[in-house]
Amino acid sequence: MASRRFVPSPVAWFLLPWAAVYAAFFVFPFVFSFVLAFLDYNPLNVANTRLVGFDNFARLFKDPAFHGALRNTLVFVIGTVPVTTALALALASLMRGKIPLKGAFKAALFLPSILSVVVIALLFKLFYAPGGALNELLARFGIEGHGWLTDPRTALPAIMAMDVWAAIGYYAIVLDAARTSIPDSLYEAAELEGAGAWATFRHVTFPLLKPAIAFVLVINTIRSFQVFIEVLVMTQGGPLGSTNTLVMYLYDTAFRRLDYGYASVIAYAVFLLSGIFSIVAMRRLRPESAVEGARPL
Amino acid sequence: MTRLARAALLALLVAVMAYPLAWMIAISLKTADGLSLRYYGEVWRAGPFDRYFINSLVVAIVVLAGNIVCCTMAGYAFARFRIRGGKLLFLLVLSTIMLPKQVILVPLYILMQKMGLIDTYWALTLPFLVDPFNIFLIRQYVSTLPTDCEEAARIDGAGEFTILFRIVFPMLKPVLAVVAIHTCLTNWNSFLFPFILTHSASMRTLPVGLAMLSQGAHSIDWGHLMAGAVISALPVVAAFLVFQRRIIGGLTAGISK
Repeated sequence: MASRRFVPSPVAWFLLPWAAVYAAFFVFPFVFSFVLAFLDYNPLNVANTRLVGFDNFARLFKDPAFHGALRNTLVFVIGTVPVTTALALALASLMRGKIPLKGAFKAALFLPSILSVVVIALLFKLFYAPGGALNELLARFGIEGHGWLTDPRTALPAIMAMDVWAAIGYYAIVLDAARTSIPDSLYEAAELEGAGAWATFRHVTFPLLKPAIAFVLVINTIRSFQVFIEVLVMTQGGPLGSTNTLVMYLYDTAFRRLDYGYASVIAYAVFLLSGIFSIVAMRRLRPESAVEGARPL
Repeated sequence: MTRLARAALLALLVAVMAYPLAWMIAISLKTADGLSLRYYGEVWRAGPFDRYFINSLVVAIVVLAGNIVCCTMAGYAFARFRIRGGKLLFLLVLSTIMLPKQVILVPLYILMQKMGLIDTYWALTLPFLVDPFNIFLIRQYVSTLPTDCEEAARIDGAGEFTILFRIVFPMLKPVLAVVAIHTCLTNWNSFLFPFILTHSASMRTLPVGLAMLSQGAHSIDWGHLMAGAVISALPVVAAFLVFQRRIIGGLTAGISK
């Protein structure tokens, strides 16, 4: 661009606030946590801090609690992300064209995504409780109640179901917004050809939405790897570690067992796992990308 | 499927999805002596929710102001000036958007502790004054604006700060609305960092206060808990009902371009 000038001095000032905050509260802690990973550091006993080399990393590989947290997190991600995306896609397909009350449907679907996760988690903690709404509802159909969050077999699936509930609206709206770029003429053509709902979806909607779907999958995956608040509020990782996730374990290790060094290694594990997906997402965030702007909530 | 059939199916699905929310409101209103706002009053005083409210508000305003000013400056600079290493710097901005923030949880806590800032507004605001996503949004928007006005002002001898804040800034309204929505919502609902960086009840924000309420003496007290949940959700829901189109547009910005 001809209008671009070569480094006039105020530019440094323009970047200074960002650079200062970024350096102090991101770069420094980031580097610091790398150092911490090689230390045995307990805040109550700082004098005994010592260098332990790769010990903290080695612990990771033989720590059954970490393996459990990793497994639970993977189950959470693999069990929720595809379901959420599929349901969001179905909802977005239903919203095609001018349908009655579309604005109201959009608002209602979007509502959970503006609520704090704490509000949602608290609500579902009671919803799933022995005397809660779910059991009440099941009782009407003669199905016996269940302590959904106190049974190790159902606690994680219950939290996963809640996550799907909370997330589909947002992704449905995202996909609906992307779908508005598909010209109506394609749908009219499909109708003229006598294509049914499924054929229309398979041959028109799905192929044209592929980039948006990929984007939704990626940002939801990154978000889901970090699942924590729900677990903290609803089960604290229990019962019997059945809902312990990576970030829950990170929190436990750092702030309950005050093992900062090992916690930093766990943090890096989370970082690497979702970092892989971040790189994919970043490539799609390039300026010319059609799906710029959306981000996980 | 016909439009009417799709609308009917949607209505059914929305009703199923809305059920837990309706249940939450019902629980918060059903008291021993019929429907009343009693739980709301009690939980407001017990929280203390007025304190949480003020904290959330102060933090949101400071963080919003910081983001508007700092991100505008940085976004504008990235869009308009050829900076040595600028591409690399902007890549840094992009990379921090998606990275999981948990990596810096422990070191940031230690840092704040060493600086004596735990349990202060500083800890709740300073690290969040510049959200890289906002820099990204503003940079993209500025890149689409014509440079004529800026050039003319420059020829007239205006300084770069004057050009940015007098001439460019007013043109940024649409993107700043998105920035404001995104910043306020993220901040209002933020839990992890405020939870870690505060210890005393008097410094808690709404989500943290609500989470603590659920672990304390009120944990088995459903009416009060749900009333607390509704109270902390009310401001965003109210804002959502008023600015619905803007908010949905803002949070799904740029998708359909």
